[in-house]
Amino acid sequence: MAASEEKQMIVNGKRLDGRGFNDLRPITIKAGVLKKANGSALVEWGRNKVLAGIFGPREVVPRHMTNPKRAIIQARYIMAPFSGQEEHGRSGPNRRSMEISKVSKHVFENVVLTSMFPKTMINIDMEVLQSDGGTRVAAITAASVALADAGIPMKDLVCGVSVGRINGQLVVDLDKTEDNYGESDMPLILSPRTGEVLLHQIDGKLTKEEISQAMDLSFEASKKIRELQVAALKERYESVLAEAENGNDNGGGN
Amino acid sequence: MILDEVKEAYVRDLLAKGSRADGRQLLQYRDIKVTKGAYPNAEGSALAEIGDTKVAAGVKFDVAIPFADRQAEGVFMVNSEFPILAHPSFEPGPPNEKSVELARVVDRGIRSAGVIDLKSLFLEEAKVLGVFVDLYVLDHSGNLIDCAALAAMAALADATVPKYDSETKRLVREERTGKLPIAHKVVTCSFEKIGGKLIADANGEEEVASDGRYTIATADSKTICAVQKSGAVGFTRQEIVNMMDIALEKGEELRKLI
Amino acid sequence: MENEKRMIVVPGEKVFNDQRRVEGGYADAKGTFATTMAMVHDDRLVPLKGYYLPKPGDFVVGIVKEETFNGYEIEMNSPYDGRLSTRETRERFQVGDVISAKVADVNEIHEPIIADPRKLGGGEVLDVESVKVPRIIGRNASMVETIKQHTKSELFVGKNGRVYVKGGNSALAIRAILKICKEAHTGGLTDRVVALLEGRE
Repeated sequence: MAASEEKQMIVNGKRLDGRGFNDLRPITIKAGVLKKANGSALVEWGRNKVLAGIFGPREVVPRHMTNPKRAIIQARYIMAPFSGQEEHGRSGPNRRSMEISKVSKHVFENVVLTSMFPKTMINIDMEVLQSDGGTRVAAITAASVALADAGIPMKDLVCGVSVGRINGQLVVDLDKTEDNYGESDMPLILSPRTGEVLLHQIDGKLTKEEISQAMDLSFEASKKIRELQVAALKERYESVLAEAENGNDNGGGN
Repeated sequence: MILDEVKEAYVRDLLAKGSRADGRQLLQYRDIKVTKGAYPNAEGSALAEIGDTKVAAGVKFDVAIPFADRQAEGVFMVNSEFPILAHPSFEPGPPNEKSVELARVVDRGIRSAGVIDLKSLFLEEAKVLGVFVDLYVLDHSGNLIDCAALAAMAALADATVPKYDSETKRLVREERTGKLPIAHKVVTCSFEKIGGKLIADANGEEEVASDGRYTIATADSKTICAVQKSGAVGFTRQEIVNMMDIALEKGEELRKLI
Repeated sequence: MENEKRMIVVPGEKVFNDQRRVEGGYADAKGTFATTMAMVHDDRLVPLKGYYLPKPGDFVVGIVKEETFNGYEIEMNSPYDGRLSTRETRERFQVGDVISAKVADVNEIHEPIIADPRKLGGGEVLDVESVKVPRIIGRNASMVETIKQHTKSELFVGKNGRVYVKGGNSALAIRAILKICKEAHTGGLTDRVVALLEGRE
């Protein structure tokens, strides 16, 4: 975050892209977009494009990591070298992506019913093809849909959004400019079913009251995100169901 | 994966009779779709799809230091990644030999044809423009090379060059000087030899059954700019001449898609 | 008659207000929730996706994956490979062989022990989701028999979601099976499958 310059990012009560303080960027979610992966999802969130793919439960490689009681989860978050608006990035993982991979893994260790598949591994691959702030929450939102698409049993679908402070104002879903020039950023992932927080990080300064308020804002905004996840998963089944039911109404009977 | 291996005998039997499991002709390609500008954060980008195979490509420009023996030329590099989501056999880690071969073959076709005039990328003393192409395999159902080559070329054709500010010595990406000049549209045509029969555009199970591959890069209807023989099986000279004829003809069709 | 509406649910969605131990469900103090994509109908939870976990007594279609020092490892369209001991059979197998077999036993960590292997040859193998198998077989095997009658194909539907098809109009048999998989969550499916088999669709 550039602390040296105060960039004016709120004008007449609106953010630079015209959004209100609590508005999400436009989001589309599609499930089952890849042929080879056991499950997959593509999330386009503002300018972000994140593709998640799942393999497993399958044999553990390397073998010594096998857990006799449950499936192990391996999560990988990577940004493509062409994903940013500025310089050409490096290929492969760096320290930031390794940290994000780890905290993402913990989210899924909570909700995936790993004890059903001892001695196996589940690979979650999250590839950021284009980035514009908030990629980790977008990636986990995509991975959650991909896991459901794969049929891996979970206690819940998870999602979330970043909340942060820019020009003294708490806003929901910071884009890259807001994250770069803002005062703080707080990504959060929750399990809507239980209301538990599964990923929580803060960069910058926030008061206790701001954090409490930011969490509420994040929970509220996540309701819309969950609706999109559910719609993406149900889409294929519901269109087939509607077709079949129309056929029946025309005298198919049982 | 094991299912692909079980199908090997089936694929070979069918080919011995001159047919393919999905009903295609021996030299027929699956449906091809090329979408330019798929990732607009990059200065050039494309998504290429051949059947179920999907490869993304991004072009990024950066100010670079020229190679010591070519101080007046820009830098052109192609890198390829095989993310694990694309195929159950892909493992995390640095590019393996197949990924490296793919990047180098795509690079060689474009470089040999002189697609980009590297001298025009010179900026000033010890500073040149670097053109970085990154290939990202998203879904692997066979014939990654032809798909990657299409994606790379389409991304280059889509690319616009950022302005160079000689005072700050940096690129101003918000201002573009125009499209990247492209001298040719290079495409590749890859053949697999299975039980002595040659096919083009192998799908996943055909690739597993294959004894070896021959890839030909073409720059126009008469010009071959790269070849790569891969795998153990041998090819006769007549086979190679035949494949070159087919590649030159097929290349014209593929070029239209960019 | 299908008078009650079928509902599609996603993981984490509540399906019953009480706590039930059902396949595809997870119970806590607040009720029972779906763990995978599923359909709720007639007070039943029917998973639409899932993985095959071997159970003793299951008939399966496997593929020989590896020869070990005392037998074979069998790939079973499951996160777990089966083990076939050379003591269980006189037949000798090669990697890639397709076999029908029975799951004789499963140990505490889901490893299935395979017995009664029989080599299947000359046909095609199709992998589907194991949760669709009951629909493919049908009540009292009615669905699979209907397919066999119409196509005259040899059909073996493994509990593990692997189907072996040989002879007859095998392409039509496969189309029928794929249709069942795609529409397993709908009503009136039997009639539409028969229509497909009779060439009316």
